[in-house]
This record gives sequence, C-alpha cells and structure tokens, in this order.
Amino acid sequence: MNQRSKCKVTIFHCINVFGDGDVLPVGDAENVAVNFVKMPCSSMVKDVFLLRAFEAGADVVAVLVCAEGACRYVEGNLRAKKRVAWVKALLDEIGLDGKRLVLFNVTAGDTPTAVEYIRKAYSLAAALGPSPAAGGCRPGVGKAG
Amino acid sequence: MIVGEQKPISEIKQIVAPYKKILILGCGTCVKTCFAGGDDEVAVLASALRLSCKAEGREIEIEEQTIERQCEDEFIQESARAVARNQAVLSLACGAGVQAMARRFATMPVLPGVNTTFMGVLEKPGLFTEECSGCGDCKLAIFGGVCPFTRCAKKLINGPCGGSQNGQCEVNPETDCAWHLIIERLKALGQMDNLRIYQPPKNWAASLSSGPRKLIREDHVI
Repeated sequence: MNQRSKCKVTIFHCINVFGDGDVLPVGDAENVAVNFVKMPCSSMVKDVFLLRAFEAGADVVAVLVCAEGACRYVEGNLRAKKRVAWVKALLDEIGLDGKRLVLFNVTAGDTPTAVEYIRKAYSLAAALGPSPAAGGCRPGVGKAG
Repeated sequence: MIVGEQKPISEIKQIVAPYKKILILGCGTCVKTCFAGGDDEVAVLASALRLSCKAEGREIEIEEQTIERQCEDEFIQESARAVARNQAVLSLACGAGVQAMARRFATMPVLPGVNTTFMGVLEKPGLFTEECSGCGDCKLAIFGGVCPFTRCAKKLINGPCGGSQNGQCEVNPETDCAWHLIIERLKALGQMDNLRIYQPPKNWAASLSSGPRKLIREDHVI
C-alpha cells in the first residue's frame, strides 16, 4: 500500500507513560503509519518539535504525559500542557486546525489507558483526514552559515 | 532589557506575502530573553510559516539565523551572506535592530516581526514589567530605585495620590502602586527624608518628546 494513503500519527510520550516491553497498537489495523517519540520527560516537547512533526507529514500529533501531580520532575507535564495549548492556538491561526494536536494524561503503568488514547489518536486522524500541510513540505534550507 | 512580543502570524504573513525566499533573523539578546525573537522563536515561526504556506499551496523558502545583536554592525555583518541569498529579511529584533539592519543593507527589505513594547525586567517566569521610560534624566536615587515617572499611572513625583488600596494602583488594581513601593523602599533604606525634597516639574526636554536623541561619547569618536 502507498505510504501516503495511510494516515500519519506522531506520538510524543514521556518514558513513564509506558515501558519498552508494552504491547501497543502499531496502527496496521487502523491503516495508520505511526511514529513514537520517547522523551525522558514530556516537558522536553518544545513547540518547534510539535510543528516539525506536522511538517514531516503528520496528520495528528498526540502527546502522552503523566497524570497531573505525578511528574517526577514536578511540573514537566504542566509545561507540556501549556505548550500544547499554545501550539494548538497557533495551528488554528495558520489554518491547520488545532484539533490535530492532542494531549492525554496517563497514569504510569496504566498501559490499557495508554492504548486507548493511542487508538483515539488514530481515530482522530481518520476523522480529520489528511493535514492540509502534509506531504512533501520542505523543511527550509537549514541554518544559515 | 527591551521587551517585545511577536506580531500575530496573520500580520507576519501579510508582511512577507510579496516574497518567496526570506531570511528570518533572530536577535540573541533582549528579545531572546522575552521569548519574542531568539533562536527558538525563529525556529517556531519558520515552521509555522512553512506549514501555513503549504496549507495554502503557496511556495516559500525560509532560511533561519540568529545573531547576537541586530543593533550593532559588528554582529550584523555575520548575517551578510544569508541576507544576500534572500529576497527579504524578517527581523525578530526590536525596532532598533530592524532599523540598524535596514541601514546596513540599503537595497534589502528588512521587515519587522516583533512589536517592541517597553524597557523592563523579568519579574517572574513569563511576566515582564515596564520599569524605565528612558526619560534621559534619571531620579532613581531620590525615589529609592523605583521610578514614579514610569510606574505611577499618574506620573506623580511629589508623593502618592492617595487612591491606592492595599498597595495596588487605583487605575489598574493589578499593578503595584509605585508610591507604595517607593515609601516601603525608603523606609527600608532609612531615607524617608527624601520625601521632603521638593521635585520641580519634570523637564521632558531630555526625553523623546524633543525628538530622536543622540548620545555622543567623544572619547570613543574617531
């Protein structure tokens, strides 16, 4: 099947949300190409990373963070929440639809809930369809020297 | 530092609309600190513009660079090669930086991406407050280091208006009363007698009211 005929989903997640050994839906059943990005803490998800995921062709970007009050760096998930809200507003402003970016709180070790949210992201991608900016978006000419 | 905020993306899109190849140039000093024009903001704006143009089916090529300061030739020259490769520069510096760039590159459109707002300080993470009007005649020694010209809504210089409540300004209750702060500070310094010194009406001739100012240091002029 043509790669672009699939929806593309990028999932940023805190290392605590699920472990390497957990069985997660890889999107085959939902016709989704998924890219997982593991981070030591969700606070590392900078605005530009979220935007570049869309530049790389994602139709939906999901950020899975620890439950509020449970971040081992105290406020990392709160920072992630604020950044996601900021980028959602930016996506609305540039006509990409902020609904394409979602954040879910997951209790550490609650893999079934994490799986449920991942499936929700897949469903969202199917419902929203291709991002108007997806496919062949050139990431500029790089840094000036 | 100089505090500013990035213009709305809709306005930036309008400003860059005539160009297909632009350099977004950040400034690594004041506007970086206030999250308006440092390297992170350059990257985010470049990405957002690319996405927006892609969504609209419009072609644009964006180069990104951040230099230490756009208000000094010494640093501006680092951007010369990147400037030459593009049709326009979208500067994320303050107004001084934009104008310094425009002066340096006479035939290159240099466009502002930031609204320069005030001279201020980072009071706490994410909160910047105006502290200085650049009036050209500083009296902070008398006022215990708190400027009533800038921070009192009524610009009173011979004592408080009497309308503040619980240390907050009656004009804007979310703002500290400058005179409350002055008195608290002078008490702490043991300099309450300063309040007995009559302050004549401010001479605004040294301020922007008399037109753009120049500062000449003869010992540095060659």
